[in-house]
Amino acid sequence: MSWRIRSLALAAAVAVTVTGCSGGAVRKAASTSSTFVYSFNLNVVTDWDPATSYSNEIIAMQNVYESLTRYDTKSKKVEPRLATKWASSDGGKKWTFTLRDGVKFHTGTALTSSAAKAAIERTMKMKGGAAYIWDPVKSIETPDPQTLVFELKYAAPLDLVSSSGYASYIYDTKAPGGGDLKDYVAKGHDTGTGPYTVASWNKGQEAEVRLSQVKDYWDGWKGSHYTSVEFRNTPQVTTAWQQLQAGDVTYVHRLNPQLFAQAKGMKDLKTDSVPSFQNLMAFFNTEAGPLKDVKLRKAVQAAIDYNGLVSTLKGSGTAASGVVPTGLTGATPGLAGRQDTAQATRLLNEAGYGPGKKSLTLDLTYAQGDDDQQKFVTLLSSALKSLNVKLQAKPMQWDAQWDRAKSKDASKRQDVFVMYWYPDYPDAYSWFLNLFRSADPVNFNLTYLDDSAVDGEIDKLPELTATNRSAAEASYASLQRKLLVDQAVAAPLFVQQYQRAYSADVDGYTDDPAYPNVVFAHELTPAA
Amino acid sequence: MTRYLLRRLAQAAFVVAGVVVLTFVVMRLVPGDPAVTYAGPRASAAELARTRAELGLDDTLPVQLWDYLSSLVQGDWGISLHTRQDVLGDISTAFPASLELVGTGVIIAVLVGIPLGVLAARFRGRPADGSIRITSMAGVSVPVFLLALFAQNVFATKLGWLPVAGEYDPSLDGTSPLHLYTNITAVDALITGNWPILGSTLAHLALPAAAIAAYPTGVVAQMTRAALIEESTQNHARLERALGFTRWQVLTRFSLRPALSPVLALLALVFAFSLVNAFLVEAIFNWPGLGRYAADSIRSSDAPAIAGVTIAIAFTYVVVNLLVDLAQAAIDPRVRIR
Repeated sequence: MSWRIRSLALAAAVAVTVTGCSGGAVRKAASTSSTFVYSFNLNVVTDWDPATSYSNEIIAMQNVYESLTRYDTKSKKVEPRLATKWASSDGGKKWTFTLRDGVKFHTGTALTSSAAKAAIERTMKMKGGAAYIWDPVKSIETPDPQTLVFELKYAAPLDLVSSSGYASYIYDTKAPGGGDLKDYVAKGHDTGTGPYTVASWNKGQEAEVRLSQVKDYWDGWKGSHYTSVEFRNTPQVTTAWQQLQAGDVTYVHRLNPQLFAQAKGMKDLKTDSVPSFQNLMAFFNTEAGPLKDVKLRKAVQAAIDYNGLVSTLKGSGTAASGVVPTGLTGATPGLAGRQDTAQATRLLNEAGYGPGKKSLTLDLTYAQGDDDQQKFVTLLSSALKSLNVKLQAKPMQWDAQWDRAKSKDASKRQDVFVMYWYPDYPDAYSWFLNLFRSADPVNFNLTYLDDSAVDGEIDKLPELTATNRSAAEASYASLQRKLLVDQAVAAPLFVQQYQRAYSADVDGYTDDPAYPNVVFAHELTPAA
Repeated sequence: MTRYLLRRLAQAAFVVAGVVVLTFVVMRLVPGDPAVTYAGPRASAAELARTRAELGLDDTLPVQLWDYLSSLVQGDWGISLHTRQDVLGDISTAFPASLELVGTGVIIAVLVGIPLGVLAARFRGRPADGSIRITSMAGVSVPVFLLALFAQNVFATKLGWLPVAGEYDPSLDGTSPLHLYTNITAVDALITGNWPILGSTLAHLALPAAAIAAYPTGVVAQMTRAALIEESTQNHARLERALGFTRWQVLTRFSLRPALSPVLALLALVFAFSLVNAFLVEAIFNWPGLGRYAADSIRSSDAPAIAGVTIAIAFTYVVVNLLVDLAQAAIDPRVRIR
C-alpha cells in the first residue's frame, strides 16, 4: 500500500473517530400537525427525574407531570389538579386530599392514593432539588384508593406546597417492564399523568424536546388543541425573534426591551407582560465592614435611584414594594424604595463620612454578564460618587461570588451582595427563611443577620399561613418593616417582568409566575 | 515517509498532552467552586459536600490531575456540570455539526478561492485582478459575525430566500426520519438517500457556510495569486514560455502544483481560525455545534465541558495540521526530508 493510500486511510479513520460514528440511530419525530413551538434560550433538559428536577426542564415537565394542586396567581387561590378537594385540620397539622377519578399514568397504571404516596415518598427520600418542600410531612396514610392523609410535624400550608413547580409531581414510581426509574426517565421517557408525553429528546439538537398528546388524558381533548409541543433551544434572542417573525416558532419566552417594543406593534404577533416572582435585591453586610453601622446602610438605601433603575429597564422590571412580590401572601404596599440624596448625605455625615468629610469605600459583587444588575451598579456608583463614597463593584461568576460571600473570614466578605431570589412554591416564606434567618454556616443569608427576635417571627410564618392568612399578612408586613426600614439590612431593587411574544394564532394564553416560563399548552387554542 | 509520519505523530501527541495539562491547571486556578455549578445555586451545604466528594474536588491538585489524565486516556472526559452528561458524549454530538459547517466553508474556500487566485494571477494588474483583490480583502477584513448577521437579515428575513436558522426543518423528522451514522446530517442524508432532509440541510447550511467561507476564500485567493506570481518568475516558467506554452498553460500545468503547497499549509491555520469563527456563526444561525455547546459551558462555568471543548479543538487542530503536512508531502516530496 502506497503512503498516499495510507494517508487517506488515516484521514478517513480520524474523520470517523471525531464525528463519533453512531451506528444508525433514528431521530425521533412528533406529529407535525398543530405543533406549539416554544423557543427557549438555554438547554431545556438537565434532569428528567420528577423527584430531583430543579432546572429549566420545568417548561416541558409541567406539561407532562401534574401535582395534586395548582396555584392561580390571578385569583391567589389554590386550584384542583390531581386532587379535587382538600382540607386541613388539627391547626394545619393534618391535611386530607381527595384524588380525581379516572386518572391514569402514561404507563397505563391507574392513579391511586398508594401510587401518589409512593411518588411523594420517593421524592422525599431522594433529597434532591426542591424535595425539602415536603420537610413538614411526618407520615402519609392511604385510608382508601382516593384519599391521601398527611400528618405534619408542624403546621404548614400543604395546599401551596403541593402546588410547587418543582418536587410536587405525582408520577408512577415503577418503570414499565421493571428496572430503575431513574435510568428509565434519563433516557427521555416519562411516567406522568399530564396531557402530553415525551415523544423524543434530542440532546444538544435545536429541536431538543418534543411532546405528543396523551389521547386518554383525564381532561380530554374536546375542541381545538395543540397535539404536540416542541421545545427549541435558541440561545440568541435576535435569532429567536427572526424565527418568530418567519413563523418557524410559536412562542418566545423572553425578548429584550427593544425587540419587545417592536413585537407590540406587529399585527401577526401577540405580547404579554407580567410581573414575575423573581426580584433583585442588594444585601448589606451587617456583620463586618462599614455597613455594620445601620446609619451607613440606611444612607446606601437612600442613595439608590429606584425609579431611575426601573426606567432604564424599559419595561423588563417593575418597582418592588418590599421583599414579597405582588400576588403572594405577604406582599405589602407602601414599602417601595425612594431615592433621597439629602437624607443619604445627612446619614453619612452623622457616621463621619460623606460630602466634606471622610471618604468611604464600599465593596460590591454582582453577577457577571447580567445587564440588569450592571445597570443598577452603574446608577449606584454614580449616586454614591457624588456623596464622596467610592463603590468598588466586581462582576463575578456565581460560584466565585458565592464562595467569597461565604468566606470563613468575615472581613474578606463583600459589603454589598446583589442577587435574585424566587420561591420554589408560591409562598413568601422562602425569602425570609433563606435570606434573613440566621444560619451557621452561612448559606443564603448574605446580610449575615443574626437576630433571634427576627428568627422567631420567621419561624411562625408557615403555621400562620396555614391557619390564619390575615395574621400571616400582618406578620409579613411587620417583618419587612423591621428588616428594611428599621434595620435596613437589604434593598429590594425591582421585580423582573416577563415579556413574552407569540403568534397571533394562539388563543387562551395566560402567564402564571408561580410556574416560571411554563406554557400549559393543553389550555391553548390554535387557529383553525 | 513512515519516519516522517512517526515524527509528526510524536510532535502532535506532545502538543495535545501540553494542552491537556495547561487546560486542567487553568480550570483549577479559576476562582469558584465547581460543586456549586453542579449541585445548583440553591444546594444545601450537605449536598455541596456530597457533590465535592463525588467530583473528587477534595483531593489535592496533583491527584486530581492524575485522575483527570488517566480518565481522559480511558475515554472518560468527565461529566458536564451543566448538562450532567458525559462530556465526550456531548462533544461527539456537537462536533460533527461544527465539522459540517466549517468543512463546507473550507470546501467553498478551496473551490472558489483557488480559481479566483489563478484568475487574479493570470490577469495581474488588470481590472479582474483588482476586483478579485478587493473582494478577497473584504472577505478577510469584515468580521464574520457582521457578515452572518447581514446575510441572515437580508437573505433569510427580508428576502425569505433561505431559512433563518437551524440545521434543517425539524418537521421533516415526521415524514422522512433520518438514520444517523456519522452524526453529520448532510452526509447521513446523502448516504441514506434522504433527499428531503438533504435539501433542507443544504438550504440551512448555505448562509452560515457562506459566512464561514468568506475569510478562508479571501486568504486562499490572495495566497494562490501571490504563490503563482512568484512561480511565474522562476526559470522553469521562462523555459516553458520559450518552449511555446501559453501563459495560461504555464500557470495551470506547471506553476499551480508547486504553488498549492503553501496554500495547503495555510489551510490548516485557516481551518482552526474558521472553527473559532464558527462559534459566532453557530450562535447567530442556531447551528447545534460545538460553538453553542462552548458558549453554554462558558456561561455556566462548566469547567469539564470547557476543558473538553479546548482539548477537542486542540486535537482537531493538530490532526488537521498533520493531514495538511501529509498532503504537502504528497504534493512536494522535498517536504519529507525537511
